Amino acid sequence: MQNKTGPFLRNPLTIDRIMADVRIALTPAIVAGVIFFGWPALKVLLLSTLSAILTEALLLRAPLTPKGIFGDGSAAVTGLLVGLILPPTTAWWVPVLGSVLAIALFKLAFGGLGHNIFNPALGARAVLLLAFTSQMVRFRAPFEAVTAATPLLSTRSFSWPLVWGNVGGSIGETSVIAVLLGAAYLLYRGHINWRNPVGYVGSAFVLALLWGQDPWYAITAGGLLFAAVFMSTDMVTSPVTPLGQLIFGIGCGVLTMVIRRFTSLPEGVTFAILTMNALSPAIEALTIPRIFGLRISQETLKRGIAVTTAAVVVCAALFVVLDRSKPDAVPVFSLGEYLPIGELLGTDDYEVVDENGVRYFLVRDAEGNPAQTAFVAEQGGFNGPIRLLISLDAEHRINSVSVLDHSEDPGLGELATRPEFLAQFAGLDKGSEFALGKDIQGVTGATISSRALVSGVQRALEQFDRTFFPQEEAGAYADGTYHAQVDSFGGPLELEVVVSGGKIAAVNVLKHSDTPGISDPAYANVPQRIVTANSPQVEAVSGATVSSTSIMKAVQKALDQASGDTSAVTVEERTGYAIAVGDGVYRASAEGFGGELVLDVTVEGGKISAIEVVSNSETPFIASQAFDKLIPAIIEAQGPVDVVSGASYTSKAILEAVEKAVSGAEPALVEPEEQQVYEIAVEDGVHRGKAEGFGGELVLDVTVEGGRISAIEVVSNSETPFIANQAFNKLIPAIIEAQGPVDVVSGATFTSRAVLAAVEQAVSGEAAGTEESEDVFVIDVPDGVYRGSGQGRNGVVTLDVTVEGGRITAIAVVESQETPDIGGKALEQLIPAVVEAQGPVDAVSGATLTSKAFDEAVRDALTTKEGQ
Amino acid sequence: MPIMVLPAPDIAVIPLQQHIGAPCEPIVAVGDRVKMGQMIGQASQFICASVHASVSGQVIAIEPRSLANGNKVPCVVIKNDGRDEMALGTKHTDLKKLSASDIRQAVKDAGIVGMGGAGFPTHVKLTPPKPVDTILINGAECEPYLTCDHRLMVERAPEMVQGLLAIMKAVGAEKGIIGIEANKPDAIAEVQKVIAEYSNLSVASLQVRYPQGAEKQLIKAILGREVPSGGLPADVGCVVSNVHTAIAVYEALMKGKSSYERVVTVSGGAVVDPRNVLVRVGTPIEDLFEFCGGFLGQPEVVICGGPMTGWEIKDLSGPVVKNMSGVLALTREEAAFDENHPCIRCGRCVDSCPMGLTPNLLGEYSDKGMYSEAEQLHLKDCIECGLCSYVCPAKRALVTWIKKGKAGLAAEKAKGKVS
Ligand code: SF4
Ligand code: SF4
Repeated sequence: MQNKTGPFLRNPLTIDRIMADVRIALTPAIVAGVIFFGWPALKVLLLSTLSAILTEALLLRAPLTPKGIFGDGSAAVTGLLVGLILPPTTAWWVPVLGSVLAIALFKLAFGGLGHNIFNPALGARAVLLLAFTSQMVRFRAPFEAVTAATPLLSTRSFSWPLVWGNVGGSIGETSVIAVLLGAAYLLYRGHINWRNPVGYVGSAFVLALLWGQDPWYAITAGGLLFAAVFMSTDMVTSPVTPLGQLIFGIGCGVLTMVIRRFTSLPEGVTFAILTMNALSPAIEALTIPRIFGLRISQETLKRGIAVTTAAVVVCAALFVVLDRSKPDAVPVFSLGEYLPIGELLGTDDYEVVDENGVRYFLVRDAEGNPAQTAFVAEQGGFNGPIRLLISLDAEHRINSVSVLDHSEDPGLGELATRPEFLAQFAGLDKGSEFALGKDIQGVTGATISSRALVSGVQRALEQFDRTFFPQEEAGAYADGTYHAQVDSFGGPLELEVVVSGGKIAAVNVLKHSDTPGISDPAYANVPQRIVTANSPQVEAVSGATVSSTSIMKAVQKALDQASGDTSAVTVEERTGYAIAVGDGVYRASAEGFGGELVLDVTVEGGKISAIEVVSNSETPFIASQAFDKLIPAIIEAQGPVDVVSGASYTSKAILEAVEKAVSGAEPALVEPEEQQVYEIAVEDGVHRGKAEGFGGELVLDVTVEGGRISAIEVVSNSETPFIANQAFNKLIPAIIEAQGPVDVVSGATFTSRAVLAAVEQAVSGEAAGTEESEDVFVIDVPDGVYRGSGQGRNGVVTLDVTVEGGRITAIAVVESQETPDIGGKALEQLIPAVVEAQGPVDAVSGATLTSKAFDEAVRDALTTKEGQ
Repeated sequence: MPIMVLPAPDIAVIPLQQHIGAPCEPIVAVGDRVKMGQMIGQASQFICASVHASVSGQVIAIEPRSLANGNKVPCVVIKNDGRDEMALGTKHTDLKKLSASDIRQAVKDAGIVGMGGAGFPTHVKLTPPKPVDTILINGAECEPYLTCDHRLMVERAPEMVQGLLAIMKAVGAEKGIIGIEANKPDAIAEVQKVIAEYSNLSVASLQVRYPQGAEKQLIKAILGREVPSGGLPADVGCVVSNVHTAIAVYEALMKGKSSYERVVTVSGGAVVDPRNVLVRVGTPIEDLFEFCGGFLGQPEVVICGGPMTGWEIKDLSGPVVKNMSGVLALTREEAAFDENHPCIRCGRCVDSCPMGLTPNLLGEYSDKGMYSEAEQLHLKDCIECGLCSYVCPAKRALVTWIKKGKAGLAAEKAKGKVS
């Protein structure tokens, strides 16, 4: 008999119940996150939770019974926590990877629930933060309330939106009220006690006070409060002893504040708590509670507190020292909620100034003179925009350039965002030569990104000048013709710039030695763009960037003489769109609040004459305001206008899409003159084209009808299925719509190119033997029975072909002199095959002639057009 | 639940050891006729209590019999003749005329042990190693279900107070305090009525809180004194006695009655008609349940003592003994057992341990046989109140392991492995 041991009464509380309570406590934060950030937040949470549950189920509870899957519910909690500390805009794989790491590495690898040393969710976050910084600091403001030029709330002072949640940040950390509701519930249920969170929040508050920061801001911003309630109180990884809990909380608070203030680690809370997790067993051992009937001397107590304090101080110092020993700081973020500008500027004493639409951060010296300024700039990189923070000294020389956000590929474009590269900018000013190989050395493997950074910095400097020295805004160049020569890709480039009426009237390239063909688009477009924009700084032509930049540089050089002032380039850049495209209708899309927003922009006579919303998923009532007000305004201004308040997301998306449309990045939908379309050199019908793809030959059939491509069908391919499908699905409709070559699908470049090549081949008529490659009979006869004949081996083969509903439904042999055993048999085989294929089939071996005759007869019948 | 009287059993099985300490020697032989209250086993050592016949009749066997916990111990088996012939000791009438040693001797002869559960021989307790100024009567009865002390206070308060006075005299204490949990107002009222005439006695109304009735906690709550780790109540100048024990002392002195019967609470959700029952020692436990209407279906577990500190009764035919305060039959819904999920380090056990221990670690070390580590965390200070196991959401067998650890530690010490 199994021994039943006491006590025989047990508290009804179980681990499952605790986990359920934690989920309940997390609910307000989840709801707040989903309300503020919408579907992306929900998606992140679902992905993280499901991955956590599945990982645990797979690794631990092999039989996938429902009970086994949900286990004790701790996996779901971990998954939720992982999701809640991620930014809502992160890529789909981030929450998945996070949960797998949390469960597999930070929980199960330690021996499962109760044995893990580190908080699993935070452990996972630390790995993600260090490995995929850019994914972890993507953030966006909730709703559409933030209309600042950058979505950063960089004022470092307390504001009420922080409390109810209207700020950007990680999903669960945005609403203080939601977090406090959760805390109240956990306290009520007795799952946490006051010591740990109060120690955490209290010590952070006190430190902020001591350092002269806004203490309310310190505790309400970022993940601090969320962590104090849900992370540092994690039972498994914090001390069980009451005094230990208080010390643990205080340690977390101190370390968080130290990391935030003195180091450039991307995030304070995570590393603070993980450090304290590691110290937890020691703290516990040193804070064994007072035992009944046993005097523990004050010394023991003091020793415990002293040792733990020392440990915390040493850790804090380590963080700072390790961080300081790095030559240059990595980009600094704090939860994506605010830019620790103070850390970037090296002081917390700065002003936020909004002037001429630019927000910059100003540090004054003891006399109150501007000593340092910093501002955020954005520039398109290889994969997307790169956001920079540029800091200038009193002489407007560059102090430092930091990359705030980018989506360049690790190991490639990302190289250009590293400190070693960025350090080169230090000391440069607007008189410097911003070109790779000149004052800046490019990074191998990241040429495009480095170039983007260089021109971004340069443009930002100019814009900053305009903002800072508005009196210098000359606005006009002296009329005349100016020559300039620069070194381009292939050799010297010589051009003249004609200025008339104070504006750039013409740019004439006199001489260049760049590679013909490749550089052509640059020479064809860039001068025009410069004239249109009345600025030497225009969008480069992709594929011919070097030539493009050379032209711009040369024009700049020429204009330097025109303005008589070698330093001032004072073209107002933002006044109007640089319409880099010819007349036509251009479609572009941008990410709005609810999803993709697609616009058609009509350009006529170099101006935007109409903007039409093709599709959008915006909130109907709110977005319509933006559509109604913004679109006429844009057309009137011919340039970007102020966003419609209350609908700033939608507004921004519209502006972005319009800009994209006129930038020439998208091909014209309808273009009267020079649109690149396929020259259809073949007649109507189905034409086969072939090209070499990634995995081998790619064969497709292009149907031409009325001189236009009406359908494209992939006949065979050896591409990687998943990747290539993207290319097929996206590219083919695009080609049909454009009737011409379109941009390749990124990620499936090879396949895309092959498709384009094959289509071109097909319509060019170069493909040999389109007859043979046809695989469907063209049936353009009405239903009925048609007779046709073909020349067989022994004589004429006559067939009756029945067409019903546009399809061959039956074939009957009317006359045949083929050798029964050979040709006769072949006919028997061919009939069902052809009916099934609705097209020519392979010849029956040994009876080629009969097969040919059969094929001929079917075609003959279908072209007779005389029903029987 | 008023106290009801269970008829004497036909056969009484009286174990020769019903207490902490050495077993006693039988002083009757098979075939002897014994009277009710007659000593049949004599204490051989100081820490030992003699046992008495609970019925009159013939000794039919002296042999090992199975007790409720399944262990076999030597028992004197008496066939009841139904005549209840009493063998009374000396009846005293005036406490004032008795000396301390008279009282101790009478208590020893009557075979009184702590009737709250531990079963420590009372005469030993009445010989404290240090001067004692206060006697506490433990009327906290803090474990759920148990109500026998409560009823005794309500029905027999005067006897209890007399017993208290005797104990005070025996140890030379001036003060007597009866600690009663505030949820028993009727008992407080009764006792207060009785002690009104004694200036040196008082009632302390105690907060309702488990384990208020644990000796050290009771002393702390009433006197604010903390028994040092490893120490005895006498170290802080007091002795604690149980309600029933005080009554037994009174009966021994004033009625010449030895300890052969007691009040047992019969309760639990599986009992048809829970009662407090006055029962003779040696009565089979199953008789108690039968007297209370039997079981409602199959009980999940039958335990001796309170649900927090009690132990499982494996043999219902085992006899009632002197320190059996209650027998409970719990249903599946009521009873809960160890499940031993991994510790999630929630700290609840640490928070609730009345001794300020770290039960999570004590349990872990004890279970793994790391006795000396457990000892360093003051394993021996655990009072086995069971609160840590009760609160543990992981349903860990903390107390079970701790008990095992204590035994293991003692064994190692005995072998000299641990100094
Ligand atoms: S049983 Fe548990 S709660 Fe009670 S004293 Fe021992 S360790 Fe503490
Ligand atoms: S109550 Fe249980 S789960 Fe909680 S710390 Fe103690 S042993 Fe661990």
